[in-house]
Order: sequence, then C-alpha cells, then structure tokens
Amino acid sequence: MADALVHPQRPLPRRGLERLDLLLLCAEALDLNGGEAMVWLSEEMGLTDLFPNRVELWKRRCSNPLRRTTRRDLPTEAEADGLIRILNALADRLYPMLRSLLSSAESPQMSEQRWSLFQSRLQELLKERFNQRRGGVQRLLDPEAAPQLCRELIQTMALSAGQGGFARLKASLMDAAA
Amino acid sequence: MKLSSRYEQTSCRLVIEGLPDLSAGQTSQTIGILTGFTLALAGKTEMEGKREHLQALMQAVIPYARQLLSGLARPCGADDQPVAIRPLAQGHQLELRSSQPDTPPLALQLDDAELADLVRCLDRVQLDPNLAVPLEVPAPQPLRRSELRHRLPLTRRLAAPVAGVAALLVSAALVALLPTPKPQTGSGVAATAPVRSR
Repeated sequence: MADALVHPQRPLPRRGLERLDLLLLCAEALDLNGGEAMVWLSEEMGLTDLFPNRVELWKRRCSNPLRRTTRRDLPTEAEADGLIRILNALADRLYPMLRSLLSSAESPQMSEQRWSLFQSRLQELLKERFNQRRGGVQRLLDPEAAPQLCRELIQTMALSAGQGGFARLKASLMDAAA
Repeated sequence: MKLSSRYEQTSCRLVIEGLPDLSAGQTSQTIGILTGFTLALAGKTEMEGKREHLQALMQAVIPYARQLLSGLARPCGADDQPVAIRPLAQGHQLELRSSQPDTPPLALQLDDAELADLVRCLDRVQLDPNLAVPLEVPAPQPLRRSELRHRLPLTRRLAAPVAGVAALLVSAALVALLPTPKPQTGSGVAATAPVRSR
C-alpha cells in the first residue's frame, strides 16, 4: 500500500542516487556489520532477482557519481526501489540507535561521544570509498560543516524508518534538482 | 462493540477508539466509525480529540516530515486548522488549537526523536488495515525546483543571470568600439541611382 502512494514512475535523478548511497553508507557507519545486513535483508525481502549476490548489490551502489570508482549505467527503477527498501529496513533495524542520537533527553556527554564515533566511522568510509575531490564529499569531511550534515542524514534515516518511510524517502529522492 | 487500536513508539502512544461499520460490510474487528482518540507524548499533557482532530494532526505532521527529508523546514497546518507544526531553532513546536472559545492554544515542544516517534505512530494509523476510517492525507510527492531554492545560497543562485547580463554588456561594448562604416559617395551613389529612360 505504501508503494502505491508514490506516483512518479521514473528513474532516480543523480542527486537522489548520491543521497541514497550516502544513507546506506551511514547505516554501515552505525553498524559494523551493515554491509552483511544489507545482503541478508535483501535475501529476506525476496530481492534476490534484483541483487543475486553482494557483488551485484555493490555494483548498483557504485552508480553514485561521488564514488571513487563509479559505474556509468544507472540503476533501473526496480533496482532503485530495491535499494530504498533495503535502506528502509536498515533504518527500522537501527531505529533505537538513530533515536538515541537525535534525542535531547540523553546526557550531553554521552550524546557527544556517540556523535563523534558515528562521524569518525562515516569519515573513514568516505575516505576509503569516495572521491575526496568532490565538493559534496569535502563538506562531509569538513570539521565545521560535517556535524550539521551528519545530523541531517541521521534525521533522514529516522524519518525513513517504518511503514510510511519507503514512500516518504522515495518522494524526497525524486526531488527536482535545485 | 467498542474497539480500540493502540500504536506505540518509545515516547508516543496513540489510542484510537471506534466502532465497526457493519452496514458497510466491514468485519467486526475493523474500526469504521472513529469515536475518539488519545495522544500521549512522554512528559507532556495527554490530549483527546475526535476524528477531525486526528485528521488535522496527520495532515500537518506527515507533510512536515516529508519536507524535512528534503531539508525544508517550514510550518504545516493553516491558522484555521486545529493542529499546526512549525520548526524551532532546536526542535519543533506542535500547536493544538481547541475548538472551545477562550481556550488558548497548547504548544508542545518536540525534539527530533519525539517527532520521529510521532511520525511512525501516524504512519501506522494511516496504513492500518483494521482502520477503515477515511483519513485524507496527501501522498508524498517530490518537491519542485522552486520549493528547493533554499538549498543554494543567494550568491550561487544569482551567479548565472549576473554572468549572462555581464557577458551581454561586454559584447555590446566591444561591438560599439568597432568603427562605423562610412557612407559611400561618388561612384557608389551613381551606381545605385535610378536610371531614367526616355
């Protein structure tokens, strides 16, 4: 039913692809076994036709132009939907962690520790896999701009979790280029 | 027989009460007529309302969450609606306006985690197959370019038109510097003069 709420039937624009892959990378930064969890969730959700193995899943993610090595072929609509569905399930699984990061009820010390751990893991993954000459990657590595951007990514994941999250996230990834 | 559905998410609890609408062919476990709801947010006043209040809550909060995903924090819910939500410097403010006269609106401050909890509860309400009450909430849609102008700073937005106008002015100035061709005299005039025949 949630799927039917999204009207547009067209492939994800470039910016949407970048954001989707970045959000999947955030899931990996939050969970050390995030990469394995993606493969496992893909199998559990019956997406083996789209992503028969981890290499195919990896190849789809490499359509992100911000990657160090990118692929020219863009994911089809079904593949993009599959990736969004995996992110939706990951966000649901990681929701308690996302919530604790966003909550103002947590002690400031504990909250600061959690944020710095998440940011350092995300920056490690960015340096390892992304092209550091791109402006979007440089902003995420900039000590001044990174905290706000990381908060926006975590908030996006939290609002993408649950039953209505798929339709909401897909609509936001289809936004027109600014 | 009165039915109730409960939706819980960490700091938020939403209980919907109603009756099955057997005349519409619904099962006895489906709420077809909503008689009321209770919303409890941790550490805040518990609220009660009717169907129109729940619909106003969903029509304000779900589109607000949709816009936040695109990095657009702007108020949702008109002044004449019972519920509105607006962004604050830190968090969000949910405004509940009572239908009773002389009752000031209730403003509740939510942090990002509490907002996410409320959105998840409302999503479950919207997609619950055992709730057949028509609650009209707009389907999430991609935002248009005009709605996303805030993403680019003013200087970058103005860069292209300013550069275009500057290029036009420079090229006009260069064309103005070219020498004006002098009017041709003598043979040229004679050649173009009409020949009168007798």
